Amino acid sequence: MVSGAFVEVAPPVRSREARAAGMPDTVPASPALWQRVRRIAPPYLYLLPAVVLLVVWTYQPLAQTFVLSTYSWNLVPSTPMVDVGLGNYERLLSTPELGRSVWRTVVVILGILPFTVGIPVAVALLTRRVRGRAQGVYRALVFAPMLVAPVAGAAVWQWLLDPSAGAVNRVLGTDVNWLNTAGTAQLSIIVITGWHVVGFAVLVVTAGLAGINPDYAAAAQVDGASRSQVTRWITLPLLSPTLAFLVLMTVLLSAQWTFPLIDTLTQGGPVGSTTNLYYLLWEYGFRSHDAGLAAAAGVLFFLGFIVVAALLTRLAERLSHHDD
Amino acid sequence: MTTDEVVGESSRGRRLGGHVVLGVLSLACVFPIYWLYATSLRAPQDVYSLSVLPWPLSTASYTEAFAKNDVLGMLFNTGVIAVLSALGQLLVALLAAYAFAAWRFPLQRLLYLMFVGTWLVPFQATMLPNYVLLSRLGLLETLAGVIVPTLCSALGVLLLREHLNSFPKELLDAARMDGRSSWSTLWTVVVPALRPALAALGILLAISAWNEYFWPAMVLQRSNAVVQLGLRSFMGTEGNDWGPLMATAGLACLPVFVLYLVLQRHIVNAFVRSGLK
Repeated sequence: MVSGAFVEVAPPVRSREARAAGMPDTVPASPALWQRVRRIAPPYLYLLPAVVLLVVWTYQPLAQTFVLSTYSWNLVPSTPMVDVGLGNYERLLSTPELGRSVWRTVVVILGILPFTVGIPVAVALLTRRVRGRAQGVYRALVFAPMLVAPVAGAAVWQWLLDPSAGAVNRVLGTDVNWLNTAGTAQLSIIVITGWHVVGFAVLVVTAGLAGINPDYAAAAQVDGASRSQVTRWITLPLLSPTLAFLVLMTVLLSAQWTFPLIDTLTQGGPVGSTTNLYYLLWEYGFRSHDAGLAAAAGVLFFLGFIVVAALLTRLAERLSHHDD
Repeated sequence: MTTDEVVGESSRGRRLGGHVVLGVLSLACVFPIYWLYATSLRAPQDVYSLSVLPWPLSTASYTEAFAKNDVLGMLFNTGVIAVLSALGQLLVALLAAYAFAAWRFPLQRLLYLMFVGTWLVPFQATMLPNYVLLSRLGLLETLAGVIVPTLCSALGVLLLREHLNSFPKELLDAARMDGRSSWSTLWTVVVPALRPALAALGILLAISAWNEYFWPAMVLQRSNAVVQLGLRSFMGTEGNDWGPLMATAGLACLPVFVLYLVLQRHIVNAFVRSGLK
């Protein structure tokens, strides 16, 4: 069954090609036309599987979400969908939950930024001198958390943060119930997510630094610039496209990164203190079975993404002109 | 090298400082992973011990984990998903990237933007219609339902296109002169040359598919067919049975870590490249 689904992807190309190859017999009247088709068809045929998948699983559902957001429906095929116009949006915007979850999403993003930008830049700058085998070992170690399955990461952190027997409380001598207290639950989610991605971000910044032409720094030093001046006025500006990319990634993906942790560790609690926008959407759709409301939230999410991505891309473009 | 000369003798101190910073960060990153495996290897009565070395070693937690859950079955299912999903994504992405790199054609830019644009479509904006479509196709709660919707990887298309763009066009032209079809050129000229990039991307995709949580959670609902979901329900039902829980979590990560130990540099490079675009 599984492999059948997999093979399903390739045949469109072949079958179209085969059909195309058979065409001269069926359309002998216009060989010139056939020649033309034959010349221009190949790239489209090669693109066909990918584009069909994109349309079926990304763009067509996106359009459906827009449609769905104007209906009231409970996801059960047998119940009718009721057209409610913009009712879902009104309902959504009037729930206090939405505002709070947006705010929590912002807090999470701001909380993760030090792990994806701050710490990596500091570490990458401080460790530029470490080369050779030692560098390889460090790379391997800091990158390891990225490979830990999110749920496995959640499991080990639940154990580390256990209020009575966990290593964290026993080493610190505290008895904080990290994951079940409103303030610390959010903090824990941020730190665990940060732990997952910090090594990856360090490597991205290191690669970005390695891509900077060392002549600029050398020239500035010859001109008498101090090390910190070189860092502030040459290295960081040249690094800014990399940093803009990391910020963009954090903004777009942080809700996604935190989802498995929230779903397994706090379920959005305690008292909703870790329910971010992503988790709220999931609850609307799959807990309350309120498809219209979830779709409306999805549309707002999408529009928000576009605005943020446009702003950050523009910023990155402006910054990247430094290295002309 | 030139900067080294300018800085002179202070570079040694800086190098030491660099080792300290990286050492602390490495420790912070690795400690939870170490603790995961350390706990899983302690004897049941020592699970709460804080000693750094798990001694005496015991496999009791693993035995219990296997007894409580069909861990091997879950690992097998997850492996099937990871391998098929990675292979499918590689094939689809290879064909698309080949089209972009080997031809100039109308609508090329628009079609390319379609792939780039997927970055802007958050998963949560498409999940409900996808769920409805899967249920209509009868693919809910099947492994095929987990795999099929992920088969087009925009990341794969973009990365492979980049690799193919640096591929010498003369080779493609020479193959065409020889009268080879584009299909045979792809498999006899392009794929052999692209093998390292395909391998790196394939590993990246397989690891991502192995670790994927959200999509399987949605398609498979409450069943425990894949290891991430099995782990979740284990956490829910036996939350405080730390030894077996850590053993299951350890097994869920083990294949990826083994792959990582063998292919460390390639995996890191693949991930970083995917981040740099």
